Amino acid sequence: MACSVRQYISDNPYCISSLSITQYELRIRPMSKQHTAIFREACPEPPFWAVTFESPHPPAPGCFVLADFGGPLREALFPAATNATGFTAMLLPRHPATHLLPGAQVDLLGPFGRGFRVGAVSRLLLVAEAALLPPLLPLLEAAPAVALALEAPTRARLPAPERIPPAVELHLITQDGSAGLLGTLEQTHEGQASLAELLAWAECVCFSCESARYPALAAQMRAARLHPAPDFAQALVQVAMPCGVGACEICRVQTQRGEQHACTHGPVFDILDF
Amino acid sequence: MLLFRLFAFSLIRMIELAPNHKYGLPLPAPVMPAAGVFGYGDEYRDLVDYTCLGALVTNPVSLHPRRAAHPPRIAAHREHLIVHTGLANPGLRAVLREHRASWERLPIPVIVHLIATTPAETAALCEQLSGARGVGGVELGLSEGVAARQAVALLEAAREGDLPVIVRVPFSRVETLALPLAQAGADAFTLTAPPRAVLPAGLSSDAPDTRLYMRGRLYSTAAFPQLLNVLARWARRLDVPVIACGGVTSVEDALACLELGAAAIQVDALLWRDPALIERVARGLAAPVVPAL
Repeated sequence: MACSVRQYISDNPYCISSLSITQYELRIRPMSKQHTAIFREACPEPPFWAVTFESPHPPAPGCFVLADFGGPLREALFPAATNATGFTAMLLPRHPATHLLPGAQVDLLGPFGRGFRVGAVSRLLLVAEAALLPPLLPLLEAAPAVALALEAPTRARLPAPERIPPAVELHLITQDGSAGLLGTLEQTHEGQASLAELLAWAECVCFSCESARYPALAAQMRAARLHPAPDFAQALVQVAMPCGVGACEICRVQTQRGEQHACTHGPVFDILDF
Repeated sequence: MLLFRLFAFSLIRMIELAPNHKYGLPLPAPVMPAAGVFGYGDEYRDLVDYTCLGALVTNPVSLHPRRAAHPPRIAAHREHLIVHTGLANPGLRAVLREHRASWERLPIPVIVHLIATTPAETAALCEQLSGARGVGGVELGLSEGVAARQAVALLEAAREGDLPVIVRVPFSRVETLALPLAQAGADAFTLTAPPRAVLPAGLSSDAPDTRLYMRGRLYSTAAFPQLLNVLARWARRLDVPVIACGGVTSVEDALACLELGAAAIQVDALLWRDPALIERVARGLAAPVVPAL
């Protein structure tokens, strides 16, 4: 009995896969991406609820974790704020996570994906639809000068003003004109491109909108900047991502480089890919 | 020493999935992922210990690239999932280019799930795969509407290659396809492909009062009793090994499939929520071999 089970298998001539198993375990298999987060608190931040988790591996801005809240699918959580001990995600009211008790355990997979890559820039522009703003919130203080162009159907759908730091230059666009400019991100009521001046000002731009709008926004970007550097303008794609590892083929998005997986090639893409 | 040997043998015993094939398809364990849920190679390497699996069944692969279906591609309702991806894949040539190296490194054989509509396509796919290291067999996916004669022609074309051919039979076509395909020389069967079903898929963006419905493959625990029904009827009537597929969520489920005559188990899309499920089932099936002290 001096040898181990693994040694026994290695010595066994009938075990055709023994050597490859050993090699695979020793050389290839990295650490697991499954871990447990602890639910800490949920507070209303209209129109969302801010839900905070303690987690050993908080996702970076634009990356995501897949949380198991008991449904048939895991749910992608993007961080709205992160620190060394965990992260906060913005969820819709009546989401199951808002009913958890402090200390409850939530099974997480991840972090997954390719997040925002904002280097040492001094002028950062964030562009979002109000409903898809939360993944951009960690970037509100990522540069000395930050501008946020925010579109909502109406004033009531805008986030709470205290969520936006006072240093952030806010440009509001509402589709009914109840706050800020009347129009959309692509075009104001006066027929002007809403973002033209801001795009010329920025050193880096991060978008969070419905992915169907990205081709039009990319065209606006091309009009404002002749030869932007790679990753000058990055766009977050929020689609269903059931597996997180590029296995299920459900999160495929059409880009200029062909179809790509939002969960592994993205979910943050260069907007010029659209 | 006896216990030690029994335990070691539980780790190394082989399941032969293609006993009638010249090369055979020995698997180190009776558990594998179903086609379409686990990717093409080591996508799940950070979440699943591949060494406890019997094989890797790839996502569906066609001869030419296929684009994804228009969204929505998934709908969830209670514990049911409907998936309609359009069987998007980059085509076999690109799959081989990208994943051949990882297949060679994997400690388990790869079973490539093929989709083809003509015998010529099937033969071309099998020809490209012949000699690919790490590939142990092919699983031929059949569409719901395929006629028995056409299915047999596809199988015969696949058998022209060197690799063992497993046929995945559509849920609604077992009665009409299983026996003709067994007689035509299928090395094994996967029973069954996910049944087709319809679920609500949200509201239309054009007309917000209109509810959309989505048709696609059903993944659900509700498929499990139907799987047992199919196994009870067919597993022992077919002279070749049967792989059970549909709604397996526990070791007990897998044992029930084996007791009804299945030789191996495929775990389907339920592992997206719980990737450890496939490992638990595999380790749970290996465990009974170790005698209680």
